[in-house]
Amino acid sequence: MTDSSRIAQTEEGAEAPRIIDADVHNAIGHKDHLLPFLPKAFHEQWLRGGPGYGGGYYGNNSVNRSDAVTDTGGAPGSDPLFLKKHHLDRYGIDYAVLTGSGILGISLNPDPDFGNAVASAYNDWLVETWLKASPQYKGSILVNHSDPPEAAKEIERMARHKDMVQVIMCSGSRQLFGQRVFHPIYEAAARHNLPVAIHPGTEGRGIAGPPTPSGHPTRYLEWHNILPTNYMAHVNSLVCEGVFEKFPEMVFVAIEGGLAWLPHLMWRMDKNYKGLRDTVPWLKKLPSEYIRKHIRLTTQPIEEPERKDHLNAIFDMIDADHMVMFSSDYPHWDFDNPQIALQQIRKPLRDRIFARNAMDLYGLHTRPQVGEGAVRA
Amino acid sequence: MTTKTRHDVASLEELREKGRLIVQVGKAEIGLFEVDGEVRAWRNLCPHAFAPVCEGRVCGTRLASNVYEYVYGRDQEILRCPWHGWEFDLKTGQHLAGEQKLRGYKAEVEEGRVYIEM
Repeated sequence: MTDSSRIAQTEEGAEAPRIIDADVHNAIGHKDHLLPFLPKAFHEQWLRGGPGYGGGYYGNNSVNRSDAVTDTGGAPGSDPLFLKKHHLDRYGIDYAVLTGSGILGISLNPDPDFGNAVASAYNDWLVETWLKASPQYKGSILVNHSDPPEAAKEIERMARHKDMVQVIMCSGSRQLFGQRVFHPIYEAAARHNLPVAIHPGTEGRGIAGPPTPSGHPTRYLEWHNILPTNYMAHVNSLVCEGVFEKFPEMVFVAIEGGLAWLPHLMWRMDKNYKGLRDTVPWLKKLPSEYIRKHIRLTTQPIEEPERKDHLNAIFDMIDADHMVMFSSDYPHWDFDNPQIALQQIRKPLRDRIFARNAMDLYGLHTRPQVGEGAVRA
Repeated sequence: MTTKTRHDVASLEELREKGRLIVQVGKAEIGLFEVDGEVRAWRNLCPHAFAPVCEGRVCGTRLASNVYEYVYGRDQEILRCPWHGWEFDLKTGQHLAGEQKLRGYKAEVEEGRVYIEM
């Protein structure tokens, strides 16, 4: 993926990034690693109970790729140097947007004080362990969405780090994300011009609602298949509650939630809006127009229709080539290989997906000043 | 080129008594409404799904507002389609949430009679 045809030039003449990976899971190798950043009062709770949001399904052995165990036998995604070598350098990825691992669901621990403390500790650990290791790593400020005022304070605290490029929270929740209880999070993010991202995998866990309105799917396959319904629900809520009227510059990133459902949702929302406009009088345009302007999606796990043209047809229906960013989900089992995953997509759009859309969203316009293996120890 | 014909379709008194009238002109059904002292005539066919739109409620609505604010207005100036609830501005025929419009006809009142041109 390093052929020169893919390397665009920026206006200043510096090379533009070739691939930006919008979903890379950096893991905490050992619980002890968080202790220097966590108040002593929470050490025992963290060491003995972990993030404590329970539940989960039995999948295919592990959520992680078994080949991603580090050189020293560490957990997949736990070593910045190994991750760079094993993933970024191998595929010519210039930037990895880090999304955390095993901790995203901290919002779903019943104890909000513990959740807030762990989220803060994680963010400080992220800065020290990853963001200082290489300019190729960009961070996501983890927040506890169950305590929005404290989440907003955490955004204020962390937004000064220039390598933090967005806010992240788990998509499992007790409430839909458009509802006004969450607005302090969006207000803080908007103040710092940070996108707000959600990541799936916690649906039905901890204090979240069940993964579907009719309860819990039976097996991991079934649960994994239906995760996008929660994304549809959140996107629907954000638009209808007027979040994008209230915060007109806000961008919401729906990571790993699929994308082929989008035309259906847009059409259904627009159709209903035409008859029910007066129930959401704050909306000034069709719901699909808010979606195109304010929602971004990541590719992995990309839909794989048998007919190549079907995926392009879906993109035509969405009619917004700026909305989609490449992601691999490294080191998880359902990883998308950038060398083959997007081959079905028409080339101009594929090029936008690999880098341009993430460059624009995250302000990553030039390749990082770093050589092969140049991770600071 | 077709020339328009003036049709005597109703008495103003009856329109005022009943609030609205649906009259037949040739094969077309026309809804008559008095809005703000002026008579409006609209084809009784919703541009969305061909519902008898003029049989819908005449009402007001929530005006465009800030998030979580509710501002009622346009009382008796909105026609709401009985099928899918599309709201139409009775003065202009415009759908409040889109591009489509009701088909309208010029209406005049003379000596207590309502005339439309079509």
